Amino acid sequence: MAFPLLSLIVFMPAAGAAVLMFLRSDDAVRWTALGVTVLDLALCIAMLAGFDTTTHEMQFTETRPWVPALGITYALGIDGISALFVFLTALLGWICVLASWVAIDRKVKEFMVSLLAMQALMLGMFCALDLFLFYVFWEAMLIPMYVIIGVWGGDGRVYAAFKFFLYTLAGSLLFLIGVIALYFHGGETFDILALTAQDLPFRVQSWLFFAFLIAFAVKVPMVPVHTWLPDAHVQAPTAGSIILAGVLLKMGAYGFLRFSLPMLPEASVHYSTLMLALSALAIVYGGLLALAQDDLKKLVAYSSISHMGFVTLGIFTLNLRGLEGGILQMFNHGVTTGALFLFVGLIYERTHTRSFADYGGLMKAAPVYTAFLALFTLSSMALPGTNSFVGELLVLSGAFAANLAVGAAAVLGALLGAAYLLGMYRKVALGPASVGARFKIRDVNAREMVAILPLAAFVLWVGLYPKPFLDIIDASAKHLLAQVHGRGDGP
Amino acid sequence: MTDAALYQSILASLPEIVVVTGACILLVLGQIVPKGPGHFLVWASAATVLVAALATLLLAGEVRPAHSGMFIADRFAVFFKMVFYLSTILTFLLSRKYAEIEGIALSEYYVLLLFALCGMMIMASATDLLSVYVGLELMSLSTYVLTGFLRQQRRSNEASLKYVILGGVSTGIFLYGVSLVYGLTGTTQLDGMAAAVTGDPLDPGLLLAVVFIVAGLVFKVGAVPFHMWVPDVYEGAPTTITAFMSVAPKAAGFAVILRVFLNPLVAASDAWIIVAVIAVVTMALGSFVALVQDNFKRLLAYSSIAHAGFAMFGVVAGGADGIASVMLYLLIYTFMNLGIFGTVIMMRNGDFSGEVIEEYAGFAKSHPGLALLMLLYLFSLAGIPPTAGFFAKFYVLVALIERGFVVLAVIAVLLSAVAAYFYIRIVMVIYMREPERAFEPALTPSVRATLALTAAGTIGIGLFPAWFLRLAQSSVFGG
Repeated sequence: MAFPLLSLIVFMPAAGAAVLMFLRSDDAVRWTALGVTVLDLALCIAMLAGFDTTTHEMQFTETRPWVPALGITYALGIDGISALFVFLTALLGWICVLASWVAIDRKVKEFMVSLLAMQALMLGMFCALDLFLFYVFWEAMLIPMYVIIGVWGGDGRVYAAFKFFLYTLAGSLLFLIGVIALYFHGGETFDILALTAQDLPFRVQSWLFFAFLIAFAVKVPMVPVHTWLPDAHVQAPTAGSIILAGVLLKMGAYGFLRFSLPMLPEASVHYSTLMLALSALAIVYGGLLALAQDDLKKLVAYSSISHMGFVTLGIFTLNLRGLEGGILQMFNHGVTTGALFLFVGLIYERTHTRSFADYGGLMKAAPVYTAFLALFTLSSMALPGTNSFVGELLVLSGAFAANLAVGAAAVLGALLGAAYLLGMYRKVALGPASVGARFKIRDVNAREMVAILPLAAFVLWVGLYPKPFLDIIDASAKHLLAQVHGRGDGP
Repeated sequence: MTDAALYQSILASLPEIVVVTGACILLVLGQIVPKGPGHFLVWASAATVLVAALATLLLAGEVRPAHSGMFIADRFAVFFKMVFYLSTILTFLLSRKYAEIEGIALSEYYVLLLFALCGMMIMASATDLLSVYVGLELMSLSTYVLTGFLRQQRRSNEASLKYVILGGVSTGIFLYGVSLVYGLTGTTQLDGMAAAVTGDPLDPGLLLAVVFIVAGLVFKVGAVPFHMWVPDVYEGAPTTITAFMSVAPKAAGFAVILRVFLNPLVAASDAWIIVAVIAVVTMALGSFVALVQDNFKRLLAYSSIAHAGFAMFGVVAGGADGIASVMLYLLIYTFMNLGIFGTVIMMRNGDFSGEVIEEYAGFAKSHPGLALLMLLYLFSLAGIPPTAGFFAKFYVLVALIERGFVVLAVIAVLLSAVAAYFYIRIVMVIYMREPERAFEPALTPSVRATLALTAAGTIGIGLFPAWFLRLAQSSVFGG
């Protein structure tokens, strides 16, 4: 067996978390956490360097028996879809550490342990090729995330943590039933690739599709099961929000890509109109909700619902442009919204308020901050030249090909996006300098700059030259579509 | 009985003989040895259990029917006896300091635990309704007395009295069922009874007998509708005894239920419907009522009702996987439940009772390590991976879905989502509140050892379930 690179990537943060438990000083904890996450990112870059973009096959695979009596194996591997998210997770990992550098000033050790545990579980989930292993990673994430929101969150943190926990748990448990049912229908194996090759009867597919849909829809989140998200986002500490927006929301969409589409192709095609409608609803409804917010973090949170609507919309167009756009948009949303939450956190550290009424005229007090905020706001609006433009354009062209009405609704959502994002920028950055006078805002410092710059670089890189990213996705996306539309005949 | 048969019988029941002999010797020694070096009692009792465990393992190689078909030493019994040994030893370790604090460190305390152990061992090995009864009574009588061991406390006396009366009635009902079976079929052997029960057409008298027997057994595992005693008794009994009762007698009850109900003949009948209803109602009641409890021991009492309900789903599933899933569930439950009880017992120090959940506020701040352990046990009880509690539930669900009981599986997971709420509420109190008091847990070496062992089991079985799964699967009788 080759060098277990993926195991190393997955378990490095876990090992780092174990080491942290024995450290005493807060600074040592911070630096160690940073070191571990940066090293993990370096390993991910090495992994991408060795990644073969011409094939849809799983790469860097590892397999070990785990519970042979039930056909459970420890199997890791990545294809073009998961590679991008493994990288995204590692990229956001060390940014989360930097974002919590001074924002978390009590129980630093426990926080960093939770953060690193979270990262290990998220990486493991994207790499898992065994359904049981996937579920273990998926569900275990509830523990550190519950603690992160509940201990270091805002005033309403306990309520938000409970809501997050119970929503996701209830969704996931039905997923578990689906997983076990799939196990028995698919020949008593948890091997994802073997299950993908099964041809299940349509009735079974339908049941499983809805069992999976509940779990994934809660994570994405899709309207009407989105109500945990604003609470969790608003109450979570900055790093928690970045993880939530950047990676956790992607888990649901990833679930559609990895399970619903390839394992339940007929059901996916049959119910695609329903999914498109739900996505369009999320886009417009999320946008309208965002428009009505007077709290900076809530606005970004609701905008996430709208943006994730574009992702699920792209996925369920079930054509190549929509699918690739949806996957790319997942990555983009992670970068852009992660950055926006980082910016909300930065300003909150300085002002301890998130209400628009207290803001205004930040451009004079903190020009660098507002300049970068402008970049990420424009990226969130999908202005040409930024990353989201590429993704949204692909999604929209796919959507119009799939369903005209849904495409029109999505365009309406994009317009709403422009409205609330520009409104937000105006209220925060422009106008009379109320905040600067009251709070003596300082501009971003070097540490914060280090966290911002890579995200800004990806915004422009994907926006101006998306080919390397689309190349990674391409082979796997084509293969996925071939599976959905019947083996062999292709899209 | 020939000499050879007698020899075989003695060999088969050697572990029981060891435990009873040890208990009797300790009973005498406890009166002779002057009070003071109370430690010796703990170690001597633990040594007795270890010798019995050794004997059990050495004799586990073959199936030994004994005592004219009333008793059997098979791998199924060995598995359950191991669970009993484990929980008894852990109870001894937890009791050492606690019994001193409460002033109940008498030799009778340990001797009664040994007698209860012996009763459970007989239950696990019994193949005749009468030997079931002997084991059941030995176990019950010992636990009645242990429940009332805090003689100075009203609560404890009340609990004991309640337990004796209700337990006595349930045993009477059980015995009445046995007498009906004997009157109708002329035998009290489980096999004979199973053959009669599945006879076609079903005799209404026999049905009545089965209902009586079920009622007697279900009382012991604390399932609805015979659960009323559980919260009061759990709350009133010394916490160490509560810990013991929540695990071992429950497992013993399940051992008998499995033997009676999963007899291939019964399994082929429609008896599972009764069990399914009991399972659903039990789990629902335990989960929902636990939501509003403020007392830690009462909460754990309702939680144990809920867990009994979940394990009952494994009985419903039946078959080799169903039986194995119940056994694995009980083993894992032993680790995690004794773990959480260990932390509650450890908190009993000075004037701090450790019984009110709100009093744990901010515990994580001063004792991060212990708080992490509690977090581990609680998430395991809630069934979140990668803990063992998840695998226990997972395997029961696999057994259910394998037999096509998908609706029951959905009910089970939805109710466990409800149950998760009250476990994570405790985590919230520990981690997300500001401390209002200083904590001085009585962290003796023996408590440390208990916590280490239970934590290792809770996380170890969760990460590497393969060996334990095989163990349970190979211990299923007739499979």
